[in-house]
Amino acid sequence: MPEFQKQLPAINESNKPFWEAARRHELVVYGCGCGALYSQVTECTACGNPDMKWIKVSGRGQVFTFCVYRQAFHPAWKDDIPYNVAYVKLDEGPLLISNIVGCANEDVYIGMPVEVIFDDVTDEVTLPKFRPVKL
Amino acid sequence: MTDAEKMSIRGKYAFAGVGLTRLGKIPEMTPDELAARAITLALEDAGMRPDDVDGYIYQGGIGGGLSDTIPLQMVGIPASMVWQAASLGSYANVMVAMAIGAMESGLCNTCVLVHAARATSRRGGQMGPMGTGGNTPGAYGWYGPGATAACMAQRFRHLYGLTREQLGSISLTLREYANKRPEAIMHDRAITMDDYLSARMVVEPLCLYDFCLVNDGAVALIITSAERARNLKKRPVYVMGYGIDHSLREMGKSPEAIHHFDGFVAEKAAEQAFGMAGITVKDIDVAEFYDAFTVFLLSQLESYGFCGKGEAGAFVEAGNLKLGGELPANTSGTSLSWGYLMGFTQLTEGIRQMRGEGGECQVKDAEICLVTGLGGMVDNGSAATCCILRR
Repeated sequence: MPEFQKQLPAINESNKPFWEAARRHELVVYGCGCGALYSQVTECTACGNPDMKWIKVSGRGQVFTFCVYRQAFHPAWKDDIPYNVAYVKLDEGPLLISNIVGCANEDVYIGMPVEVIFDDVTDEVTLPKFRPVKL
Repeated sequence: MTDAEKMSIRGKYAFAGVGLTRLGKIPEMTPDELAARAITLALEDAGMRPDDVDGYIYQGGIGGGLSDTIPLQMVGIPASMVWQAASLGSYANVMVAMAIGAMESGLCNTCVLVHAARATSRRGGQMGPMGTGGNTPGAYGWYGPGATAACMAQRFRHLYGLTREQLGSISLTLREYANKRPEAIMHDRAITMDDYLSARMVVEPLCLYDFCLVNDGAVALIITSAERARNLKKRPVYVMGYGIDHSLREMGKSPEAIHHFDGFVAEKAAEQAFGMAGITVKDIDVAEFYDAFTVFLLSQLESYGFCGKGEAGAFVEAGNLKLGGELPANTSGTSLSWGYLMGFTQLTEGIRQMRGEGGECQVKDAEICLVTGLGGMVDNGSAATCCILRR
């Protein structure tokens, strides 16, 4: 496999469980016993509970917003132009930044139903991405 | 602070000096040299001597990191109070609040606010991965603040039917102002709607003309007590009020509310500033909105209460930001067409309008000006700041 040129996620103690789950091809979000769910590590802003855990979710959601890069801002992305970056609102609530794959950029729209797929970009790192749900 | 205490600051301090270097490509000068030049010009403008200034608050702009007190040493200002401010578009107004707070508590009597940029020598646009969870933008190719602006524009298209022509009308309005201002970087370059619609896309749905300029330059603004300002060379421009808001305060409402792709969270800044100034939004004669991107200006028209939600697109397309419109705004061409000095682009023009120095872009009989700033990222929480100036 040629060396991966793009930036990899900055994995740290806080977010390690997210990336370990992705490696297992599971999507997790950070959740509280009260039902509130978050895309990142936080205390529960709904009830103040500091005792949170990572919870597996369905991996389904909708495109909340997106943009299409027509110019590369980082050399490693030059050959990907044009590519999209989207915020996906999971059915469970949290927003995740990702790419919509498996369709043309022109076909992406706000509200588009999507589901997670897992892109093993290196031997250690897997990026959750999303593709259109075939209705 | 009680309402009475807030009101006691109203009009108590004023801008007395403005110093602006040339804007554009200035590779021959370091940020320190640019800053020193701006300070010298501001002193001349105010009719002050270097030792009249005892406070210094500075901000390095893009590529314009300053060597702390070096610019002051170059000019010979023996300041006793030196503060560095964060390099964000929201901070020009924060620096006004810092200066007034410092003078109010006796830390200094006259303060120079400085911004210097050397953006042309820096390879721009790159931002690394960030975030503490699954949100790791860099890994997905998310670089630069243009993406957050593009994602905001996409939401406005979806929610309110924002059109490219409406965004284009912002670019054109500001360019027309810049075409009348000799020091504006885009002074000699007119654009048409056809130019806008056929321009190179950068981050769709935003094109080249939705993005602010990249330039070098520096500005220095001198602020002091109103009493003192009245005895100086130029007509004082009074600070009537200021306000600060941050989308972070929304996090209690819902975990994702800090993202605010559907519009800036500025209501509290407006409420504080208008309250302190004792005015309402209807009293604003001219506004200088932070405009790193067209859609940022558009969103603030709604957040500050000039338009209802979703109405700003039609408002700008009807020509309301032009001279003679309902709210003449961004009258130098600001960041999109004049030059980008973070929030100082707007603050500088606001002061000039209140002095009547707007040249062909002067809003006739304008007495009250709103200046805004934004800082941070739409996708990770951002600050909205403003101040209200009076002639």
